[in-house]
Amino acid sequence: MREHVYDVFARKSRGDPLAHIGYVDALDDETARVYAWKTYDEENWFEMCVVRRSAIVPVNRDDGPFAGGRSEEP
Amino acid sequence: MSETTTSVEGMDDATRSGLKRLILTLADSKRLMGLRYSDWLVGAPSIEAGIAVSSMAQDEWGHARLIYAMLKDLDVDPREVEHTRSAEQYASVDVLDVPFPDWAAVVAGMVMVDGAITVALDAFCRGTFDPACSRIPKMLSEEAFHRSLGVAWYKRLAGSGSEEAKHLLRRATEDALPVLLRWLTAPDEVSSGLAAAGLTDPGDAQVAAFRDAIRGLAATLGVDVDAVGVAEGAWDPGRGRGSGHPQEEAVERARGDRNRMLFVE
Repeated sequence: MREHVYDVFARKSRGDPLAHIGYVDALDDETARVYAWKTYDEENWFEMCVVRRSAIVPVNRDDGPFAGGRSEEP
Repeated sequence: MSETTTSVEGMDDATRSGLKRLILTLADSKRLMGLRYSDWLVGAPSIEAGIAVSSMAQDEWGHARLIYAMLKDLDVDPREVEHTRSAEQYASVDVLDVPFPDWAAVVAGMVMVDGAITVALDAFCRGTFDPACSRIPKMLSEEAFHRSLGVAWYKRLAGSGSEEAKHLLRRATEDALPVLLRWLTAPDEVSSGLAAAGLTDPGDAQVAAFRDAIRGLAATLGVDVDAVGVAEGAWDPGRGRGSGHPQEEAVERARGDRNRMLFVE
């Protein structure tokens, strides 16, 4: 069963910027939700979301930390 | 079920005894569920899955502690209950008597076993016992994550090309269902008395809620939950479960026997 890389973003308070806090390897969106919530639970997050790395579109450089995901997908 | 009550003073002895059984059944099941999840911190299919079940184990033990604490309202010391009972006295749901043998059984456990406990918890939450009404909602919100993970993994295994995965999942499902249906039905006067007192839902309503929750998922493996019968065998009305009990080793771990001598108070 193939897993995908999901990047995890969160903010502690409503007005805070959404920050990249880590990643998880997951089977699909639903497992990514749970893995992220259970892995990065050291804070009382106001908001957390995950995005499959392959869905991130690089804008100004192709060698950034999130730029390699698009080659993951068929 | 209508207004909540904070007092057990007016309860007759039978209702008080039944409420104690319900609390012990739920708390012991949570304690054992956590223990079975904890076995898979190492051995889960991925690091993330191991972290998730480890976190779920913590959830279950936290829930158990809060539910045991409800015994204080019945003038029962929760500490004594948690640390002195033998395996034969545990009221946990029968299917947790032995460890999950493989990951497919863990997944079935998340959906079926944890799901049945959640149905019973939800029914207790909507009853008239105030500590349950106030403490259980947060547990139910945490359980939603357990179900999400279980459902996602269940669908993944059921839809995989692995015949072995499907076989193990189906076997775990078919083994657990009859026992869980009987546990929720709780076919005795204690159960019907609790429902009549408004402390929880009747067993048949809980069974219906459980079947609704798992019908579609079980069908992915060709299991018709409406055709599954209730387990037979001896029923222990004192504990609200079958006549067996968890392995002694599991209860020793639950009580913390091995290192308790080092616990200085």
